[in-house]
Amino acid sequence: MINADKSLGKVVFGFAALCLAGLLVARSSGAAPDIPRDFDSGGEKIFTRHNETPPAALGGTDGRRTLNTYYALRQYPGSPPRVPHPVPVFFRDENRDCLACHGRGGYDAEQDAYAPVTPHPENENCFQCHVPQRTEMTFGANNWQSVNPPKLGRLQLAGAPPPIPHGLQLREDCLACHAGPAAVAEIRVEHGSRSNCRQCHVPMLSTELPKKFRRPAEEPGQ
Amino acid sequence: MGFNRRAFIKSAAATSAMASAASLFPGVSFAGWKKLEGATGMISWQKAPCRFCGTGCGVLVGVSGDRAVAVKGDPNCSVNKGLCCVKGYHSVQALYGRDRITKAKVRKKGKMVEVPISEALDLVAAKIKETVARHGKDSVAMYGSGQWTIPDGYVASKLFKGCLGTNNLEANARLCMASAVTGFMTTFGIDEPMGCYEDIEHADVFVTWGNNMAEMHPVLFSRMLAARKRKKDVVIIDFATRSTRSSQAADKSILFKPSTDLAVANAICYEIIRNGWVNESFVKKHTTFHKGKTDIGYGTEDHFAFKDKAEDMSFAEYKKFLGDYTPEKVEKISGVSARDIRYLASLYGDPTKKVTSFWCMGMNQHVRGTWINNLVYNIHLLTGKISTPGNSPFSLTGQPSACGTVREVGTLTHKLPHGVVMNEKDRQMAAKIWEVPLANIDPKPTYHTVEMFRALDRGDIRFMWIQVTNPMVTIPNLNRYRDGALKDDRFIVVSDVYPTPTTDVADVILPAALWIEQEGLFGNSERRTQHFDQIVPPPGEAMSDTWQIIEVARRLGFKKQFPWSEEEYIGKIWAEYRRFHDNPKHNMAPYKVLKERAGVQWPFVDGRETRWRFNPKYDPACKPGTGFDFYGKKDGKAWIWARPYEPAAESPDAEYNFWLNTGRVIEHWHTGSMTRRVPVLHQAMPESYVEINPEDAVDLGVVNGEKVKIISRRGAVTMKASINGRGVPPRGMVFVPFFDEAYLINEVTLDAFCPISKQPDYKKCAVRLEKA
Repeated sequence: MINADKSLGKVVFGFAALCLAGLLVARSSGAAPDIPRDFDSGGEKIFTRHNETPPAALGGTDGRRTLNTYYALRQYPGSPPRVPHPVPVFFRDENRDCLACHGRGGYDAEQDAYAPVTPHPENENCFQCHVPQRTEMTFGANNWQSVNPPKLGRLQLAGAPPPIPHGLQLREDCLACHAGPAAVAEIRVEHGSRSNCRQCHVPMLSTELPKKFRRPAEEPGQ
Repeated sequence: MGFNRRAFIKSAAATSAMASAASLFPGVSFAGWKKLEGATGMISWQKAPCRFCGTGCGVLVGVSGDRAVAVKGDPNCSVNKGLCCVKGYHSVQALYGRDRITKAKVRKKGKMVEVPISEALDLVAAKIKETVARHGKDSVAMYGSGQWTIPDGYVASKLFKGCLGTNNLEANARLCMASAVTGFMTTFGIDEPMGCYEDIEHADVFVTWGNNMAEMHPVLFSRMLAARKRKKDVVIIDFATRSTRSSQAADKSILFKPSTDLAVANAICYEIIRNGWVNESFVKKHTTFHKGKTDIGYGTEDHFAFKDKAEDMSFAEYKKFLGDYTPEKVEKISGVSARDIRYLASLYGDPTKKVTSFWCMGMNQHVRGTWINNLVYNIHLLTGKISTPGNSPFSLTGQPSACGTVREVGTLTHKLPHGVVMNEKDRQMAAKIWEVPLANIDPKPTYHTVEMFRALDRGDIRFMWIQVTNPMVTIPNLNRYRDGALKDDRFIVVSDVYPTPTTDVADVILPAALWIEQEGLFGNSERRTQHFDQIVPPPGEAMSDTWQIIEVARRLGFKKQFPWSEEEYIGKIWAEYRRFHDNPKHNMAPYKVLKERAGVQWPFVDGRETRWRFNPKYDPACKPGTGFDFYGKKDGKAWIWARPYEPAAESPDAEYNFWLNTGRVIEHWHTGSMTRRVPVLHQAMPESYVEINPEDAVDLGVVNGEKVKIISRRGAVTMKASINGRGVPPRGMVFVPFFDEAYLINEVTLDAFCPISKQPDYKKCAVRLEKA
């Protein structure tokens, strides 16, 4: 498994590098050498471009982030995720900080993946909450349990906009997670351009009320 | 760059395995935690202060059934405004380590045997009685903690000082806050900061003195970064002995040689006076000048005693004293360039800039800890930059209730809940509130922490009850004190939540309730008292530390002093304790108010909190029309102290040629007995290491991860080298985090302390290195 992945990784990485190089020379080089040029409105370019673009970039998303990989990095719904990739323990170059990739997202050739965008770029002390994993061993067993992640959908009518099943604290920016190529596959939206998300989607929290609501008139003794 | 290719491939493999599993079983979730069975999915959120550091973040604990299942920052808490650090977010997982101590254990024929907790408590009480009868009242001792809740510390003080009549009561805050306290007492005559965290939003300049806030007070640090970003022209200066994450984020990092912060602080004052930056009307109206003894020793010998003697001096004499601290002279001592010293002075001196200084263990764990606290106050007093928003010399704390319990309740040998044992009026007040004869309260302090463990070793103390702390990891020069605790005819009781090197030396282990498994109160760095309810039940027979003490006190015959029921004891204890501070300088909020809010600052007068003390605009205890009123001193004036530079107790020499510095990391809290049981935290920081300067590493012939033996005159530890890792020490220094019980770095450290505060210096001793 590991070996297969390793070689696959190399292949993908090499392919991406080739594509990048290819893109630079695409304009001057032709497709098949022995056919006439510039017929059918120069339609050969379609195939050249397709060949030379990484699959991830074609789809607009690599589809690799799913809810399962999302929750695998967390300890309970809403916990700060671990850092799932190696990071230098001591940043020396200002441009190598987390926000270089996670501030605006984009394709990272080294990871061959789109970087997820943070919903709270104003908090710059990233390691305050997000730590990498340096071992899989634990110090001792732990009986930790938590509640299920919220169910998706939960619409009340067919075709109705689904409610927001999580708190918004530190997750105020919907588009950071729900739109763009690194969005988690199951919760990615195609209508991000509409901008005012909460026009249609309202929070539906799983917060237990401290006591049952009663109308004042229903209070005992009134 | 330290990229671990293999780990990356491995994690990529795990991720793709997850992804393929997900595509095989659509709709099945592979979340990283075990699902709580029968949970409705509904969570109730209840407020508490975070369990860990002294910042005192408000957290909301998510509860499902009788289990804590989630955490978020409390947006209603002004400390952290909804943001936590990685420890806070995962704090509730520390409740559920599988090796929680849930049953009492007693040593029988050399083996620890589980017994019902009532039997263990009977034995503790019987042992106290027996030891007092055979060896006198001062042969029994209690050693607690800045993680004690306020009620824990209060009942401990009442039992030991009021009922048993011994001042053998100390807490680990002696290792962490004592110099801050003596700094406040000698300069202002009253403990705890005048400012508050709101200073962060007002200040133009931050100087952190030997304080890696990015890791130790991350929430305040990011609040500082946010303020800098918003205001643009804010400057952060990291003044320290090694490069850290805080240095990376700072606008300027200035490194000084260990202990020479004393000289640099004096040089800053020299420059402030030379340039005419003194706020003369403030200095004239609100300060007086003093000097104390010099060449005051280091306390490394048993029975060390020291008493400072203050003498008045004039401003002219003070100015003359500073003549030894010109920037050029201090450059030679400290390694800080004269130019950087002048720059620091100009930041403090600029009348248009508001300056906040932060410090914590760098200044407090210092053999001249009291002095360096005094000297930083001098800078703020000379420039009048104090007690106004943004102008704040701010001493941070490391434990959630170092202030609330140890400093305010006074669980130190010389202290009472109000005042000190030496003062008859304070003893009278305690005797009256505690309903004990005045003669019970001994007017003579006994042992401070290091001397208490020496007394245990010598046999002057025969019985010690340790709660909520792990001294067999944290006491400096540990070999001697562990041997002492293990001697025949010593009886050690340990109340804790997990097995530790301290429970290893225990004769009785009592299972303790942890954090939100009990009702309690903490007090944070900014005079904020924070109440939490019992949110989940403790496991097995675990019992709150307060209730353990009450049970033992009753067995000793003190039913009258400990009359409360288990349902309402915390509220009753709070009401009784509040009587000690019933005055405008320290009035504390009533129980009902504390229950409702995410913390309330004292002095709490007429329903209002006090943000800035000693300033009549904000502080109702000030005499009106005074401008400033430093009412801790009789004449309302703060003291500026002439304190010289003196070197550390042990400096590198030809044989032991490196400084050893010790401290913490963001992932682990103190000895890691809780945080190491949290998977995320352990997996991010699985073991301790020794940071070595890259050039020293070349000289030594070690590369990253190779083993190095660190040897001092007291002990040796072998551990992995970390080069260009989390922090980088300068040449000639190594740094070791102390959280890992597998590498007991305190077997190497020195038990020297500040003669005034009696706080040990964990930051400076001499070692040599060998490639192992």
